[in-house]
Amino acid sequence: MATLRSSASALVGAVSRPALRATTAKTLPSLAVRGMAQVTDAQQTNQTASGDKANLKTFQIYRWNPDTPTEKPKMQSYTLDLNKTGPMVLDALIRIKNELDPTLTFRRSCREGICGSCAMNINGTNTLACLCRIPPENSADMKIYPLPHTYVVKDLVPDLTQFYKQYKSIKPYLQRDTPAEDGKEYRQSKADRKKLDGLYECILCACCSTSCPSYWWNSEEYLGPAILLQSYRWLVDSRDEKTAQRKDALNNSMSLYRCHTILNCTRTCPKGLNPGLAIAEIKKSMAF
Amino acid sequence: MIAQRAATTTLRRVAGKPNVFFTANVARLATQPLSTTQTRPVATQPHLTPADANAILAKQRLNRPVSPHLAVYDKQQTWFGGSIWMRITGSLFSGSLYVFATAYLAAPLLGWHLESASLAAAFGALPVALKGGIKFLAAWPFAFHAINGVRHLLFDMAKGFQRQTIVKSGWYIWGASIVGGLYLAFLL
Amino acid sequence: MASIARSSLLRQVAAVKPNPQQTLITNAARTTAFHTTSRRCLLPPLPQHVQGTVNDAAPVPEPSPSHGSYHWTFDRLVAGSLIPLTVAPFAAGSLNPTLDAILCATILIHSHTGFQNVIIDYLPQKRTPRARKFFMWGLNAATAVVGLALYEFETTDVGITETIKRIWAA
Repeated sequence: MATLRSSASALVGAVSRPALRATTAKTLPSLAVRGMAQVTDAQQTNQTASGDKANLKTFQIYRWNPDTPTEKPKMQSYTLDLNKTGPMVLDALIRIKNELDPTLTFRRSCREGICGSCAMNINGTNTLACLCRIPPENSADMKIYPLPHTYVVKDLVPDLTQFYKQYKSIKPYLQRDTPAEDGKEYRQSKADRKKLDGLYECILCACCSTSCPSYWWNSEEYLGPAILLQSYRWLVDSRDEKTAQRKDALNNSMSLYRCHTILNCTRTCPKGLNPGLAIAEIKKSMAF
Repeated sequence: MIAQRAATTTLRRVAGKPNVFFTANVARLATQPLSTTQTRPVATQPHLTPADANAILAKQRLNRPVSPHLAVYDKQQTWFGGSIWMRITGSLFSGSLYVFATAYLAAPLLGWHLESASLAAAFGALPVALKGGIKFLAAWPFAFHAINGVRHLLFDMAKGFQRQTIVKSGWYIWGASIVGGLYLAFLL
Repeated sequence: MASIARSSLLRQVAAVKPNPQQTLITNAARTTAFHTTSRRCLLPPLPQHVQGTVNDAAPVPEPSPSHGSYHWTFDRLVAGSLIPLTVAPFAAGSLNPTLDAILCATILIHSHTGFQNVIIDYLPQKRTPRARKFFMWGLNAATAVVGLALYEFETTDVGITETIKRIWAA
C-alpha cells in the first residue's frame, strides 16, 4: 500500500507538481477543522430539519413521580440523534438523563449485563437495557416501561422487595452437616459441577419472573421462575445435604405448581438461561 | 436500605425549604475548596428510629402504581401464547360439558329433549354451511387442546425447552390445529 | 463507559455553546397521557403492603403433597391417559360401554382440576377469600351434578362417544 502510494505520488508529482500543491493547499485547512465542520453540518441539517444526517429516534418512557402521587403515570417522549448516542438502550437513557431530563430515574450499574440493575420492559419484552441494542434500521418509537406488574418506586424503578424476600425464603446457600472428607473443601465430580452450568449464571435481574403471567397474578405466594431456577441450583448441587427439606418447602399448591409452562421466562432471559427447563426438572424430580 | 433512603427523601420533603440546604452547601464549599466528593446534607438530620422509617415507607408504598403488564407485554407471547389458549379451549369444552350435563339432568323436569337421537336429528336439520361452521368451531378447539396438550406433556418430561423450539412449536400448534380442525370438520 | 464519557463531554460542549440541536430536542420532548392502565381492569391488585421488614424471608408454606406433587402427578397421568381414551373409540370404531364410562370419568376429573387451577390462579386466597370459597364449593357441587348427569346419560342413553359420532354424521 505504502509503495503504491509513493509511486503514485511520484508519478503525479512528475506530471504536475504545482497543481497538486494548489489542491493540497485548498483541502488541508478544511481537513484540519473537519470535526468542527461536521458539527456545523449537523446543526444546519437539524435547523432545516430536512437532512438525513441526524438519525433521530424517539423514546417513549413511562414516568411516575412519588412526590406527586395523585398524578397518574404517563408516557413521555424524548428524541435523540442516534449518531451521537451509544448503541444500547442504556446509552440512550443515560444520555437523556444527562442532557435532556435529569429527573428521569432508572437503575443502572455495570453497563455490561452482569449486575441486573437495568432490567426493564423494552418494546414489549423484559430485558437488560445495557444488553438491548437500539434497532437502527427501524424508525418506530421505542417504548420503555418498568418491569411489568411491579409496584413502581419511581419512573423505571420497580420495588423488588417481595422478589428478594422470596429469594431469601429458599435459603440460597449451601446447607451441609457432614464435614468435608479431607477437612478442607467439599469436592465435586466434573459431572456434578456441570449440572450447575446454566444455573449459577443467573443474576437475579427479575426479567423472567416479571414476564410470567402466573407471577403477575400470584406474586404473593408463587415464587416465580427466577427464584425457582435458584432453588433448582441448590437442589442439584451435589454438595448440598438438605435436598429433601428444600423439596418439602416447594411441595404445596402455590410455591412451585403455579407454573403452567407458559415459558415467557425462557424466551425473555437476557442471559440466555432456561428457567422454564429448571422448573420442569424440579417438577419431574418431585413427581414420584 | 430502601427504607432508610425513602425516609431521608421524605424528611427532605417534609423539611420544606430547600434553600436552607443550599446555603449550608455554599458555606461548606467555601470552607472546603475544590472538593470533588458530593455532600449529602440530609445525612445530618436527626436519626430516625427504624420503626419510624418503616412507617414512612409503608405509607409511601400505598401510593405506588402497578406497572402495566398485559397491555404492554409482547402480544405474541401473551395473547397468542399456547398456554392461555389451552386454558380457553379447555374451559370452553368443560364449560359446555357442564352446561349440557346439567341441562340433561334437568330436561325431564323442564320438558326439554336432549337425548342423543333428538340432538342428532336437530343438528341434521341445519343447513350444510352452518353444520360445517359449527363442526369447525368445535373441532378446532379440540385439535388445539389435544395437540398443545401433547406439547405440554412433553414439556413436563423436560423436553423441547430450546428457545428456538419453544418459539417454533408455539407457531406450529396454530397451523396444526387449524389443519386438524378442518380435517375433523369436513373430511370425517 | 465510552458512551458515558462521550455524553458528559457532549454536555460540556453544550454548556459552553447553546446547541440548536439541543433546543430542538428539548422542544421535541413531550408528554402524552398514559392510557394503558385500563379502567376495566378485573381484580386490580391491592396497594402494596409488605409483611415484615425487607430483611425477613417470605413465609414458607407447610408442605402438603396432596395439593403439590401428588396432585401434579395425578393431573399429568389423567391428561396422558386421555390421549388413548379419546383416540381409541373413534379409531377402533367399536363401542365399549366400560371404556366410555372411563372416558367420561377421566374427562370429568380433568375438567374439575382444570377449573380448580383457574380459580386458584385468578381468585387468590388473600385477595378474594370469599369469592374463592364460593367458587370452589360451587365447582364441587357442579362436578357432583355433572357426575350424576353423566351417569344418567351413560346408563339411559347411547354413551358420549356414540352421541358425538351420530351428531357428526348427521
